[in-house]
Amino acid sequence: MIVDVLTWLQQPGLSHFLIVSAIVFALGLYAILTRKNAIMVLMGIELILNAANINFLAFSRYSTHSLDGHIVALFVIILAAAEVAIGLAIVLNIVQNFNTANVDEIDRLKE
Amino acid sequence: MVTETILQQLVLFVPELILTGTFCLILLTGAFTKLRDYGTSTLTLIGSIAAFISVLPTIGVQKSLFAGMIAIDSFAVFFKLFSLVCLIGITLFSLHAGELKLVRTRSAEYYALLVAMTLGMFLMASATHLLMMVLAMELTSLSAYVLAGYTKEAADSSEASLKYILYGAVASGLLLYGISILYGLTGSLHYTTINHVLAVEPLSRVPLALVFVLLLVGFGFKISAVPFHSWTPDVYEGAPITITTFLSVASKAAGFAMLIRFFKLVCVNPVASVEAGYSIPLLPIDWQLLLAVLAVLTMTVGNLVALWQENLKRLLAYSSIAHAGYMLIGVVSFTDKGIASVLVYLVVYLFMNMGAFLVVMVVANKTGSEDIRTYRGLGSRSPFLAIAMTVFLISLTGIPPTAGFIGKLYLFAAALDAQWYWLAFLGVLNSVLALYYYVRIIRNMFLRESESAVPNISLTSGEVLLLGALLVPTLVFGIFFSPIVEIAQKSIVMLGVP
Amino acid sequence: MMRESIDVYTVLFYFFVSITLVSACVVVFSRHIVRSAFALLFTFFGVAALYVYLFADFLAITQLLVYVGGILVLILFGVMLTNKQINVDIKTGTLHIVPAIILAAAIGGTLVGIAWSNPWMVLPTSSSVKTTAPQIGELLLTTYLLPFEVASMVLMVALVGAVVIARREKNKKETTRDS
Repeated sequence: MIVDVLTWLQQPGLSHFLIVSAIVFALGLYAILTRKNAIMVLMGIELILNAANINFLAFSRYSTHSLDGHIVALFVIILAAAEVAIGLAIVLNIVQNFNTANVDEIDRLKE
Repeated sequence: MVTETILQQLVLFVPELILTGTFCLILLTGAFTKLRDYGTSTLTLIGSIAAFISVLPTIGVQKSLFAGMIAIDSFAVFFKLFSLVCLIGITLFSLHAGELKLVRTRSAEYYALLVAMTLGMFLMASATHLLMMVLAMELTSLSAYVLAGYTKEAADSSEASLKYILYGAVASGLLLYGISILYGLTGSLHYTTINHVLAVEPLSRVPLALVFVLLLVGFGFKISAVPFHSWTPDVYEGAPITITTFLSVASKAAGFAMLIRFFKLVCVNPVASVEAGYSIPLLPIDWQLLLAVLAVLTMTVGNLVALWQENLKRLLAYSSIAHAGYMLIGVVSFTDKGIASVLVYLVVYLFMNMGAFLVVMVVANKTGSEDIRTYRGLGSRSPFLAIAMTVFLISLTGIPPTAGFIGKLYLFAAALDAQWYWLAFLGVLNSVLALYYYVRIIRNMFLRESESAVPNISLTSGEVLLLGALLVPTLVFGIFFSPIVEIAQKSIVMLGVP
Repeated sequence: MMRESIDVYTVLFYFFVSITLVSACVVVFSRHIVRSAFALLFTFFGVAALYVYLFADFLAITQLLVYVGGILVLILFGVMLTNKQINVDIKTGTLHIVPAIILAAAIGGTLVGIAWSNPWMVLPTSSSVKTTAPQIGELLLTTYLLPFEVASMVLMVALVGAVVIARREKNKKETTRDS
């Protein structure tokens, strides 16, 4: 068993990348679930998108041998940039209106 | 060679090109001319009518475009026409919206983003490739985030846009992660190729189940199904009411289009279905049951929470969640009849929901409030408005002789037909539950007198025309419903589905 | 066989993996938002290095340019601008930690389990190094032409939207501030 693990560790392959991606995904999810600051939530989303990109590229390299995964990863980066741009504009506007970026303090709409 | 085929394909892509052109033109007009509000809204109307006309020649065409990225088929055409009707309606609404009058300096961006959102819905309805689907969804969502916060000086509106983008970005992140695993499992992003791989190779259950849960988060966010609905009430209440209406009708419809096309193309066993003559599910997980549970939750939570709402915009938000649940019943049954009943319901829902929101908007313009108490005595102060609202609410409940009854009838009949008896029963039970809060509004309008002196609400001729244009179909389709049913039955033809 | 020394390639792989994971942990668990933002820099860098290991040279460069050069700068600007009124204490609070840990650990554990045990289809890989940029360019203008064009619309919408929301309007701000 231990020998298996050691030989597995010696040869980085598909599952190594998938496991890294799974851990990054879980960390991003944790950040989204726990952090109050809107910018922290956006950072958590960036982690999740990076995890998805690792998956796409790993499958592209080991499973499909096509560049489809690369193209998708490229578009994911574009989408992340667009989302962050709008997200931060909205957060700046919120800070002007509410003087805070903490999501749980912004609850006028729950009366 | 390549350029030639692209040029040939562009002929079928004219509606989208017209919308893109309108988008650019509106932005340029706003930037370089003094034409602000009326100029840009006229441009939007011209652009959407031109797009509408250019969609018409593609009726009956069945073709896959741009290397299988999108499909032109009757199903896509139906949703394109649907979202254009919504766009035209919302543009007309916007001319009468009081809250937008304060921010007329930005109206070019407002209309441009509405057009961009419609373009996104076009692509959502026709995407047959996962990357294209995500991009289309993001185009719609990004425009919607901004539009929800369009009256940015109002705290409610900026709060709505913040909640919308946080929930939306999380949903699309989870969706993308799900897609990445699906890509690893099947090695492709084309709906049809994924379907072939799923049909041929037995895939392990756990990863596939996880993929579908992650995908459902993305879809569920778009159609605001419980438990992914928590953004809906806040966004619907905080956003400008024209945008709320657009989100609750057009955006939801596009979400359903995306959901139906995905399940129809990916999760149906192609060979067995041809032999049997009806759709046979493919996956090792029982996704129909999963969707059924989602439908029940969505209906029940939407209706139950709506019972306690005092703000009419928020009440209609919960009611629109419940309506998404009814429509999910049609998706669950998944027969041709089921899909057709969803389309019928969407047409009906377009008129009655837009009508109800229009009344709320008109009242809010004059009184500045959306509280249910402002509606007290509306029956005597403004009979036409009150009667129109009553018709829309009766139709939303699903009582004959309104169009809403026909919509519900078809949905439940399709569920019974596909032997989802308990689902249909819970649907009927929910309609009864919904009666309570709709009637509460009607009671307030006719049986209660207002305590304070409330200004009389006089309607402009434009508002009367708009109300009439929504009121007539709501009543007429309750009696002469065969045309919509026929259109819906013709519109379920999808490229690649046997 | 076990005794064979591990080569530099593998050592460097684990070095980059640990950079990615450790900095991602700092991003998530640090209570200081500026520290989180800077740790994110190292996460993006580590992920870019992993892309190189996956023979994705073009994507690695894009990751560095767009994420590190664009998104991260934007996030840092956001952090600085939103925290100006509470200069001293730029900390971020947390909510309901225990259920979040359970949920994230459960999903992460499932994913790791899947990654470890699922029979992924693996084709034999060639070790010959080829640059991917020409092929990506060709794909973008043939198969992926429509997504490429739609992406330009998405960016345009993001541009217009960010300007609409973030632009300060001087003339009538005070009158409509309180809704």
